[in-house]
Amino acid sequence: MTLAFRNLYAEFVRTFGNVLFAVSLFVVWGLLTLIGVVVEQGEDPTLYLQSYAAPIARAILRLDFDNIYHSPWYVGIVALILLSLAVCTFKRVIPARLPPLRPVSVDKMPLHAVFDVEGDADDVRRRLSELLAARGWQMRERLFGGIEWTFADKHNWARRGVLVAHAGFVIIAAGTTLYWARGFSGDVPLLTGHTAQIAQTHALIRLDDFAYKIAPIMTKSGMVYQPIDYVSHVTVTGNDGIPKHLTVRVNHPIDIDGTLYYQASYGFGMQFLVSRLGTPNATLSNRTLLEGDSFDLPGTRRTLVYERFAPTVDKQSGMPTADPRVNDPAVLLGASDGGTSLGDALVPLGASVDAGGGWRVVPKRYVLYSGFQYRYDPGVPLVGIGAFVLLAGLIISFYFLPARLYVRVDPIAPGRSRVGAAATTVKGYDVFEGEFGRLMVFLREEKA
Amino acid sequence: MPPDELLVAVALSAYALGALALLIYFFSRTKWLRDVGIPLAVLGCVAQFAQLGVRFELTHVWPLLNLYGSLSLFSAMSVAIYIGFAFRYNLWFAGGFVLGLAAIFLAYGVTWYEGTMPPVPSLQSYWAKIHVPIVVSSYAAFLVSFVFSCVYLLKYYAQRRVTKVHGEQSEPGPVARWLAALPSLPQLDVIIYRAVAIGLPLISVGIITGAMWAKEAWGAYWQWDPKETAALFSWIIYLAYMHLHTRHTWRGLRTSWVSVIGFVSIIFCYLGVNIWISGLHSYKV
Repeated sequence: MTLAFRNLYAEFVRTFGNVLFAVSLFVVWGLLTLIGVVVEQGEDPTLYLQSYAAPIARAILRLDFDNIYHSPWYVGIVALILLSLAVCTFKRVIPARLPPLRPVSVDKMPLHAVFDVEGDADDVRRRLSELLAARGWQMRERLFGGIEWTFADKHNWARRGVLVAHAGFVIIAAGTTLYWARGFSGDVPLLTGHTAQIAQTHALIRLDDFAYKIAPIMTKSGMVYQPIDYVSHVTVTGNDGIPKHLTVRVNHPIDIDGTLYYQASYGFGMQFLVSRLGTPNATLSNRTLLEGDSFDLPGTRRTLVYERFAPTVDKQSGMPTADPRVNDPAVLLGASDGGTSLGDALVPLGASVDAGGGWRVVPKRYVLYSGFQYRYDPGVPLVGIGAFVLLAGLIISFYFLPARLYVRVDPIAPGRSRVGAAATTVKGYDVFEGEFGRLMVFLREEKA
Repeated sequence: MPPDELLVAVALSAYALGALALLIYFFSRTKWLRDVGIPLAVLGCVAQFAQLGVRFELTHVWPLLNLYGSLSLFSAMSVAIYIGFAFRYNLWFAGGFVLGLAAIFLAYGVTWYEGTMPPVPSLQSYWAKIHVPIVVSSYAAFLVSFVFSCVYLLKYYAQRRVTKVHGEQSEPGPVARWLAALPSLPQLDVIIYRAVAIGLPLISVGIITGAMWAKEAWGAYWQWDPKETAALFSWIIYLAYMHLHTRHTWRGLRTSWVSVIGFVSIIFCYLGVNIWISGLHSYKV
């Protein structure tokens, strides 16, 4: 290893093992996260150009702030934090320990107490050791220059709490990496009565029935239509080839061969009667469109888009209402000619609309569809273990304070001794001040 | 008046009067005001927990699923955690600030009350009884750390000003005497640390249980929803606090400022995201 490389390595370890460097990375991580909260994520570029001043919008798009959590900046900063965490663990956390057993100048330490008690030095030392041991302190005695010192350690094992917390992070990172490497997910909208095959697992899922329940509730601010339940009855055929009738609800996913299926959304599929000069077009009329689907009118440059289903239209204003229950439904149809938008129209179910070129379109029948999300995540056990380990590490770090007492007992007169005690911890002195004070009072009273 | 609304009125009144008494005690150190403030704090806290219980009993709807309910628990837990600290470390001098904030948050929560609503499907889960109380309790612990951080900063800057104006006088003036009656700066720093040491594990558990709930309800632990990311942001700040607290030179003044910034981020995460930014956690009423 050349000298230049050794210097570079030493500089790398020094920088990445520095707590302030880690905190600087936290600050950058936090700021990038905050940008993701404030700036809408994953939207169309035109939205940013409309919502922000042009220079800001351009900056958002060029710096990937519109998809920040998957940007090189974000992934890079998380990688740097993991690197810093690893270096800190090996260079700072593992070597960190209470100082070696050695004599100290008791009165020069910030936490110290000196008091006189009755009894010979050996007897007092023995009784102090017994009292401290009874309170959970691990006792050790050493002779330095003919003077006997008593050292008492408490929660020395807890200095590994930070190591445990860091290990938790690494296990969580391993679990999420496992999902990226081996897992998969996807969405499948299914019309009632239709079947879909999941590409990755070849499982078949058929939507037998979907229902939703909305409760109109009068509140102080007016009527609120509160969704109460979304329920899909499905028939699923997994690896065993046996169809199973199952129910999927929000918060109640189903498990088929390790892949979970979730109730994610619902909507209204629509069949249109499409005719030209009174003659129905069978191909177009037999299709069921989902919201957002479009179809071209043969022989023209026109395209119609089924934009949205309006469950209830106000009879007086002719506008959609907030009521999501199906009462007087209509569909919002968009039209374009050669890519140029011609506008939208709200068309009640059963009503006919002139689409031009002799074509007429009638929203004929709606069919409910249910949107499922499926996900296979082999990293779940690791993430769960990592979370548990992280928490254990935090609790050990915060609630068990590794501390050391240095105790020296000197004879000052026949049958009378002077006790000098000092303390240190791995987190400084202030955090132990109260407990040290109470301990000294206890020892003094017990020895008095 | 229904019993739950009566209990809210009792809690609000107790907090307001208790805050007044303890605020005057903070400045005057008149002991009888402290003796009045303490029972009022306990009364308000008990009334709030009773109110949440009564509301659950009356409606059979978990009372923490909207902003009114969660703010009720937030103020109740803030006072409960503070009372625990105050009894343990004799910190009644700061009660006026905690009770005042609790009263403000409770009163603000009342403005969001729209009556009883059944929960939406995503909230119909046993996780609601685990995740929400844990997260709200972490916010409450951070409120307590925020109050003591403010006291720390007040004492630090006031002490500095007194020293600057009057020098190291042998006979301290009334302001210096008043400042000396507060706990020392290192003691205040330890109290802030202890409050954060309650809040950080709680918010960590809150984020983890939230991720587990999200996995069950939406299919993924993490969706980069504004609430999730704002909680992550707050968590990062308190993580930075804990790391900085290991450095002797950063402990005290600088970490107190970090604690203040952390609480601002908590309020943004709690109220800002719920009210101003739409997402998967937009449960207001």
